Amino acid sequence: MQKTFWRCHVCNDIHYGLRPPEVCPTCGAKNAFARCDPAEVGKVQQPTEAIDTEEKVIQVWKEFAASNPICRLAEDENEVRMLAGGVLENMRNRGLKYCPCRITSGNLEKDLLLICPCNFVRQKNWTELGECWCGLFKKKED
Amino acid sequence: MAEKGDRLIWFWGRECPHCKQIRPTVERLESEMNIKLDHLEVWHDMNNQKLMQEYGDKISEACGGELGVPAFYNERTGKALCGYRIPLEKFKEWASGK
Ligand code: SF4
Ligand SMILES: [Zn+2]
Repeated sequence: MQKTFWRCHVCNDIHYGLRPPEVCPTCGAKNAFARCDPAEVGKVQQPTEAIDTEEKVIQVWKEFAASNPICRLAEDENEVRMLAGGVLENMRNRGLKYCPCRITSGNLEKDLLLICPCNFVRQKNWTELGECWCGLFKKKED
Repeated sequence: MAEKGDRLIWFWGRECPHCKQIRPTVERLESEMNIKLDHLEVWHDMNNQKLMQEYGDKISEACGGELGVPAFYNERTGKALCGYRIPLEKFKEWASGK
């Protein structure tokens, strides 16, 4: 099965995935999604603000960590800033915010798993050391 | 600098905090053993990235399944080390080919 675009017929929310959401996360309408032509997607979606500065990248990470029950952002601000600079460099040079501490393999499917934040909970470092490969996200102490 | 095939290589990333952290240990290794590693930056130099991919099997094995930095590769022995918690003694074994 291949992922495709879905459009909420009430509020024009776009979803990309195997299945449409049962409830629209924006307007709350039920069973409201119809398959959407990729050419329409670009027109339906309004351009949003680019995430193109260190501050904005760090803000995204903060929001992500705040909404995630198992992780927090590293406390060392210099390291966090260095990593933000790294993902932006990779964005400029390679088009995606790739992890600065791993490299691409040339296999796009695999490389798409390197966009930050990645799915770090499946990494050995997460289980063994309680942090993502770069030490950007750490396990929340409870 | 050693010839290709005979090098001790450090693959590192300019924006990787762990590479920064391990640098003093690398420098200590170099001065205590009187050797020089090839420091190859992988995100800003495609040739270095390609070389790391060539040694990808050994390196990703050492890194726990992926191509991560900091990674160290001994071209003579084909042995790789990975990560930033490598004790100096282990480094020395790797460098001397033990
Ligand atoms: S290992 Fe950490 S820094 Fe690297 S992509 Fe994953 S979350 Fe981001
Ligand atoms: Zn909706």
